[in-house]
Amino acid sequence: MNEVRVNESAAGRDYRDDNETIQFIVIRLGDEQYGIDIKYIDNIVRMQHITRVPKVADYLKGVINLRGEVIPVISIRIKMGLEPDEITKNTRIIILKLEQQGNVGIVVDEVKEVVTLITADIEKMAYDKKEEKIGYINGIGKFDGGLISLLDLNAVALDKENV
Amino acid sequence: MDVNQYLEIFLDETKEHLQNLNTQILELEADAENMDTINEIFRAAHSLKGMAGTMGYKRMQALTHDMENVFSEVRTGNIKVKPEMIDVLFQCLDALEEYTNNIMTQADEGTNDNEPLIRKLNDILDEKNKVSSSDGDDIASAAPSDHGAGEEGFRSVKLNDTENKVLREAYKMGRNVYGVDIFIEESCLLKAARAFLVFKAIEEKGEVIVSSPSIQDIEDEKFEFRFSLIIVSEASLDEVIAEASYVSEIREVKAAELKLEDIADYGECDNGHEKEEHEADTLVPEAKAKAVSSSTVSAMAEAKPAETARQSDKKQIPGKPVVNRTVRVDIEKLDVLMNLVSELIIAKNSLVSVTTSREQNDSSGFNEQIEYLESVTTNLHESVMKVRMVPIESVVSKFPRMIRDLSKSLNKKMELYMTGEETELDRTVVDEIGDPLMHLLRNSADHGLESAGIRAQRGKPAVGSIYLDAYQDGNNVVIEVRDDGNGIDVESVRNKAIERGTISEDQAAIMTEKEIIDLLFLPSFSTAEIVTDVSGRGVGLDVVRSKIEALSGEIEVKTKLGEGSTWIIRLPLTLAIIQALMVVVGNEKYAISLGSIQTIEDIAPGDIKLVQNKEVIQLRGTVTPLIRLSEVLDIETEHKADENVIAVIVRKGDKQAGLVVNELMGQQEIVIKSLGKYIKQVKFISGATILGDGEVALILDANALI
Repeated sequence: MNEVRVNESAAGRDYRDDNETIQFIVIRLGDEQYGIDIKYIDNIVRMQHITRVPKVADYLKGVINLRGEVIPVISIRIKMGLEPDEITKNTRIIILKLEQQGNVGIVVDEVKEVVTLITADIEKMAYDKKEEKIGYINGIGKFDGGLISLLDLNAVALDKENV
Repeated sequence: MDVNQYLEIFLDETKEHLQNLNTQILELEADAENMDTINEIFRAAHSLKGMAGTMGYKRMQALTHDMENVFSEVRTGNIKVKPEMIDVLFQCLDALEEYTNNIMTQADEGTNDNEPLIRKLNDILDEKNKVSSSDGDDIASAAPSDHGAGEEGFRSVKLNDTENKVLREAYKMGRNVYGVDIFIEESCLLKAARAFLVFKAIEEKGEVIVSSPSIQDIEDEKFEFRFSLIIVSEASLDEVIAEASYVSEIREVKAAELKLEDIADYGECDNGHEKEEHEADTLVPEAKAKAVSSSTVSAMAEAKPAETARQSDKKQIPGKPVVNRTVRVDIEKLDVLMNLVSELIIAKNSLVSVTTSREQNDSSGFNEQIEYLESVTTNLHESVMKVRMVPIESVVSKFPRMIRDLSKSLNKKMELYMTGEETELDRTVVDEIGDPLMHLLRNSADHGLESAGIRAQRGKPAVGSIYLDAYQDGNNVVIEVRDDGNGIDVESVRNKAIERGTISEDQAAIMTEKEIIDLLFLPSFSTAEIVTDVSGRGVGLDVVRSKIEALSGEIEVKTKLGEGSTWIIRLPLTLAIIQALMVVVGNEKYAISLGSIQTIEDIAPGDIKLVQNKEVIQLRGTVTPLIRLSEVLDIETEHKADENVIAVIVRKGDKQAGLVVNELMGQQEIVIKSLGKYIKQVKFISGATILGDGEVALILDANALI
């Protein structure tokens, strides 16, 4: 219920004007590329030691220290049902700044580039509860002939166990 | 200027006065003849009335006005204090508190006129068939008689031509011209605010023509404890004086009517001055200032006897220092300061870890500096913590009144004895601890103390005693709520638990007395035979416990059937920075609060016994269960059966357990951080901290592990 409401309000606010531009950071997860709205991003840091927290959901990798603040890190791969993260020199932690959950880090395989899309190029996705993976995406952006899926961060960060 | 900016002062002071009234009326109940108490009550009611009036809260003013009338009669001895009267007065205080709360939440006093109360107050007055005049009139009638003292005041005010003209104009129109001297109490903190309130009060009655010192100077607090005004008004002199003296912290208002002749004198005098001014331009301001200050001194000297008399009265008022050397600080600013101190400690810790990891050569000077830094940060931390500490008095001072009311409504005689009100706790803790304590006190009053009949049978004094003791114990503050009542009937708790299906009969048979008593802290468990409006609805003890645990504290209860029970609350002094022992389990580091650690033991494998398939050790006569942290926290670790194990013995109340760790790292001052909003609550973990090398270590919650 909560998720749906968040989506609608975000859609209403962000995609109304056809010529408004939104910047997305393009990240790679496995073979797929996803876009993250830049306004939610606080910081991007290199992979570092993550302190495991016992007795929590498996996608919650643990906590890290970001300039004196303890920040939880979640594995977006495990959350989406993909195979566990493989740490390479390209792996990054993106620190998201979310209204409800505070700061949360997500592990991504690679950060590729920043793209600017106009709202006309963004196709809103209908929310479908049945398909788990689709549930984390709230739009598709057309860019240079390619397509990127736009992550619905509120859904990604939403703690299912607590709903 | 706007009244709203004084709203906060008003609310603070109203609360203070109400609290004071509560205490004093309680005292009055015990000793109806005490004149000091009666005077103090009268004064507080009077200030309240004045404050409410100036802020425009008419209903509040009306109620306090009638209360004041009653006290005025009590003071003159026309009415004797009776128990019914005390009841009415307490109801009035409750009504006033409601007004205050309304003002706080909605910036409006609400629409409740409290007419029944006002009628009751008037009934008390009518009993003597003598409706007294308000105190405002008293002052007014007294003031003109000694208006001679005013001569250094408004009579020395100089008028310029325009002001002179305005005054003459006023005479022509038949309006009254008054000179007013206002004396502010020397203990007053915000003179300018008081002066403003006086201005506002007087402007309701008339127009301020001249002020000395100038309005600008008064706003800038450039004046001593008095100022003089010349006003034009259509109201009577008495009304003006009454209006001005409603403002609290005004020591005295002196006023007199100015006749046309006086004004003429002023004019001449003024002209004379002006000539001088032309002659010696530069000297004048200084001379003027002198004139003002000398007049102030003489006026003060005159007021001295009265002042000292007042001060001797004042000594009896607790918690109202004459000169207050404090500053109000927003708690958020303190939090920022506290965070900075935390950062500093983390930085220091990382410096320490850098130096110790290096080779020991040529770093002695460096080490010295580090040690210096360490002592500075420790001191800084302590000072900041102290700033955040407030005495628990602010919370517990409302309890005597509550017990009194309970005593009436439960129809049991009881007395509350409190010690250690000055014990200090972190501000955030003090704010939260009030409700749990209230629950416990109500509990003692309702369930604990027996009815008068049973007490007599048991040979106990007719008046039940409830004690609230607070004291510091090491790094903890202990608050005990004790009563000499019935105590907890363990058998009845046991039966109740079985009856409700909370535990089975088999379980009940093997549970210790203490475990049974702990059942009381479960949600919706009440043993009261009759549900009263005081307690017994089963919400309470579980809420008490969860609240105290949220403050990282603990609660336990000791009881003896027939003799009473003691509830012991143990709270940490600080919440932000603690001393901790760092341990290694597997390849992970954890912190354990030093406060809960008893000892550290090296245990040979042969000493570990199995009881009910659980590992235990014999430790100085007590059987202590062993908890393997690696298992509890799902850590992979190699476990060799023939090696000695290190166990950190932790204590919770009178239970203890040994936490098995792989390695000890040492003691460290750690800054407690939350795990973030995202991770809401993790079993066994109470928070996280950042180590010197930047890594995050989790803090084990020893209480949850036992």
